[in-house]
Amino acid sequence: MLREALILAGREAKKWFGRRAVFVISIITPLMWIALFGKSFNIGSLIGVDIEIPGLPPGVAEAIKAALQERVKSIFGTLDYFTYVTSGMLVVFTLFQSSFGAVGAVFDKRIGYMTRLLVAPISRASIYLAKLLGTLLRITLLSALLLAVAVPLGFQFKEGIGPLDILATWGIILLLAAGFTSLFLAIAFKADNQEVIFATANLLNLPLMFTSSALFPVRQMPEWLQSIAKVNPVTYAANLVRYHLIGAPLDAYTHDLLYLLGLSIILILAGFALSMKALEEL
Amino acid sequence: MSDCSVEARGLVKRFGPIVAVDGVSFCIREGEIFSLLGPNGAGKTTTIRMLSTLLKPTSGDAYIKGYSVTRESGIVRKLIGLVPQELTADDELTGWDNVMILARLYGLRGKEAEERAREVLEFMGLTDAARRRVATYSGGMRRRLEIAMSLIHDPPILFMDEPTLGLDVQARRHLWDLIMELRRQSRTILLTTHYMEEAESLADRVAIIDRGKIVAEGSPEELKSRVSGDRIYIKPRDPGLLEAIRSRLASLGLDASLDSEGVVVKVYKAEDSLVDIVRSLGDSEIAEFRIVKPNLEEVFLELTGKRLREEEALDAFRYRFVTRRLRR
Repeated sequence: MLREALILAGREAKKWFGRRAVFVISIITPLMWIALFGKSFNIGSLIGVDIEIPGLPPGVAEAIKAALQERVKSIFGTLDYFTYVTSGMLVVFTLFQSSFGAVGAVFDKRIGYMTRLLVAPISRASIYLAKLLGTLLRITLLSALLLAVAVPLGFQFKEGIGPLDILATWGIILLLAAGFTSLFLAIAFKADNQEVIFATANLLNLPLMFTSSALFPVRQMPEWLQSIAKVNPVTYAANLVRYHLIGAPLDAYTHDLLYLLGLSIILILAGFALSMKALEEL
Repeated sequence: MSDCSVEARGLVKRFGPIVAVDGVSFCIREGEIFSLLGPNGAGKTTTIRMLSTLLKPTSGDAYIKGYSVTRESGIVRKLIGLVPQELTADDELTGWDNVMILARLYGLRGKEAEERAREVLEFMGLTDAARRRVATYSGGMRRRLEIAMSLIHDPPILFMDEPTLGLDVQARRHLWDLIMELRRQSRTILLTTHYMEEAESLADRVAIIDRGKIVAEGSPEELKSRVSGDRIYIKPRDPGLLEAIRSRLASLGLDASLDSEGVVVKVYKAEDSLVDIVRSLGDSEIAEFRIVKPNLEEVFLELTGKRLREEEALDAFRYRFVTRRLRR
C-alpha cells in the first residue's frame, strides 16, 4: 500500500513541479500578510520611543519603557510583530494549503483519472494516502520557502535555536496539516465539483484564523472570543510553533501538544474513514 | 465451471427507479471479440462498469476466468484492462509519465517497467509523442494512449467502451486495425459500440442490447439472416404519392409498408422484383430509390422498431461533452 501511495504521491509532485508559476503564486499571499500586515503593525516601534514627560526623572522614564516592553513581550513573546505574525502565518498557511490539496482529488474524478485508479489492483487506502502525502510534501516545501523569505525581511529566531526546534516545528505543522487535509479529502472524494471545497474552505479557514492566536494573542481578546480560541487547534499549533521558533513562553507545553495531537488524530481517523466510504461508493 | 473467459449471469443494475441493466447474461469465449451493440443509454457502459468491478450489480454476478467480479475483485482487476469511454490520462503529464505511473502501480519495477512502457507506446504508435504533454495530443492519439495504458499489465481480457467515439473515419480505421492486432495476440475483447459497421467488421459475435436487455445474440452473419431478405426504400418527390405507391406495390403481392424513410418493400432478393417495382412506379417522380442488403442496422430495426442511426445526431454533442470533461 505504501509503495503504491508513494508512486501516486510522486505523480502529485511531478504535476506540481510542472507548474512552477503556481508555486510562486501560492507563496505570494502569505508573504503579503507577513510583509504588509506584519511590518506596518509595528508594536516594537510604538513602545520603543523614549518617554518624554516634563519633570519625570530619567530613571523613571526608563523604568516605564522597560515595563511596557516587558508587558508586550509577555503577551506577544517578542517585541517584533513581524516575527510574531510570521510564525502564526506559518500555521494559517498550512491550514489553507490543506484545503487546496484536496481540490486535486475532485479533479482526478473529473478528468477520469480516478477510474484508472479504481480499476487497478491497488488498495483504496493508497489513493487516500497518496493525496495526503502529496499535500504534506507541498506544505513542507512551501513552509520552508516562506521562512526562508521571512529571514532576510527581519524574522528573528529565538536565541540558541537548534535542529530539534526546527524538527519539532515541522512535526507540529504536519500534524495540523494531516488532520485538516484528511478532513478536506473526505469532502473531496464525496464531492462532484471543486466549488464544494472552496466553499467549505472559506467557511472554515477564516474563522479558524481569526479565532486563534495566529494574528493576535489570545489574552488580549474579549472573554467570549477567548473561549473559542482555547478550543481552536490553530491556537495550539501557533503557540507550539512560536515556542520552538521564536522562544515565546508557553505555560503548559505537554498539555498543548497532547491537545493538538489528540484532535489531529481524531480528524485524521474521521477523514480516513469517510474517504474510504466515499471511495467505495464511487 | 464454464469455458467462458467472461461470463455475465443475470446482471441487473438499478439507479433509483431507473433500471439501467435488466438481466443481462452472455458468455465470451477465450480469444474472441464480442460486441455489445446498442444505442446510447441502452446499458452498455453500465454493463462494462459492473464487469470491471467499478459498479456493484443490484443483482446477478459476472465471472472473469471464473472469478467473481463482486467477491474476488482483487484478482479480477489484475486480469482485465479497461478502456473507459471517458479519457483518463492526466493531461498535465507526458504520455510516458502516464504509462510509467501505471506500470509501477501494476507492480512492475525499474527496467521492467520502462521496457513495458516502451513496448505499449510503440505498439500504439506513440513513441515519438511519448515525451510530450498529453494536452498536446490529438483525439486519436489520446484514444490510443488510453489503450496503451490499459495494456500495461498485459491483460488477457480487454474491455473497450466505445473506443472510437468521436474519431474521424481515418483514425477509426486505424484503431480497428490495432484492435484486430490485439485479437491476434489472443486477447479476449469485449467492445461496446453504437456504430454497426464497427460491430460488423470487428466482432466474432454481437449481442444487440436495448433498454438494458439483450434482444439478440450471434455472429454478424447469423444476426443478419434473421432479417428476411433485402429491403427496398422508395421516396417520391411528392410525399402525397406515398400511399398511392404503397398500395400499387401491395397489389402486386409485395410486402410494402410506410415508415419515416418512405415506402419500404421487403423482398427475398431485390434483383428478382426490381423490374416489377420499377414498372409499377410508372412516371411518378422518384427522389430516392435504395436497395439495402441485410445489415445489423436492419436487424436492430427489425428487433426494436428503432434505428441506431437516429441516435447519431447526439454524437457530436456527446463528443463535445466527453472532451470538455477531460480538458477540465
